[in-house]
Amino acid sequence: MTEFATQREADRGGLIAEEVLDFQRNMTRRGIIFSFTGYISEGILKALGDALRQKIRLESTDNKTVNRVFSVFVEQVQNIIRYSAERIEHDAEPPVELSSGMITVGSEKGRFFVICGNIIAREDADTLGGRLRELQGMDPEALRRFYKEKLREPPDEGSKGASIGLIEIARRASEPIQFDFEHLSDAYSYFVLKAYI
Amino acid sequence: MAALDPIRHEATDRTPEVLFDFAAGQYRIAGESYPEDAASFYGPLTQGLRQAVEERASESLEFSVEMIYFNSSTAKALMNLFQILEDAAEAGMSVRINWCYHEDDETMEEFGEDFSEDFAHADYRMCPTS
Repeated sequence: MTEFATQREADRGGLIAEEVLDFQRNMTRRGIIFSFTGYISEGILKALGDALRQKIRLESTDNKTVNRVFSVFVEQVQNIIRYSAERIEHDAEPPVELSSGMITVGSEKGRFFVICGNIIAREDADTLGGRLRELQGMDPEALRRFYKEKLREPPDEGSKGASIGLIEIARRASEPIQFDFEHLSDAYSYFVLKAYI
Repeated sequence: MAALDPIRHEATDRTPEVLFDFAAGQYRIAGESYPEDAASFYGPLTQGLRQAVEERASESLEFSVEMIYFNSSTAKALMNLFQILEDAAEAGMSVRINWCYHEDDETMEEFGEDFSEDFAHADYRMCPTS
């Protein structure tokens, strides 16, 4: 009985290793440096941000690129923390605020990319899509002026300043940002944003 | 109203070093800034500066910004501080702003130039360092 159980444990262990290795190799093939899925807090932002800076500095990337990737990463993670519709808030001491989403950083043909994905209210998808399309059509000088204009304005209703964050991402990106929505239900959509640096 | 006490913050992982010495008219923000809640970090600084200007806590005012990195909500907070400084200069106060950045840091240089556009009365200086 004991021997049989031990044998089964070993078999299962083998299968798990194969599956995990396959998963990791798949990520590596796609150039992924790291990917985080689940509940994200500001503490996780700090820890992942530090690891990201160290990793890309090691690849002897110039400072400008390190700063740009870091900036896009921070704005994307803070967007998840502030706007993900999948969140937990608790009035504990200190207060707990966790938002769920996915953040991935990788490199492809010598360029870095940052992807974030999170659930949003379906009714917000049109507004967000409209804003992002507007940014896609702007050249660097137009983005610079638009950023400045937004700084002078009071924040949009309910946006907590997100419009400026999105402009910051578009400014640091080396080509127009990509985005997409997948409708999940009448109430929710899945939102994805990808920026190449 | 009581004289304004200076505000001093040591730098943390995500917030800059801050010294607002209202009576001396010396202000400094330095480091990195991407706080969890920019409004709660910068709110008291904005309020303090506004009060100091209203009460003429100092004859003149020198405000130095030495940032390495800041996020978009910090940019918004800096803009609020700068608007108070420009208004104070327009009202006749002697106001100098030093925007300090590493000479190789194009992002901070560009931000410094962008902010400079909003100053017509204050003495705004770009201060590259090596």
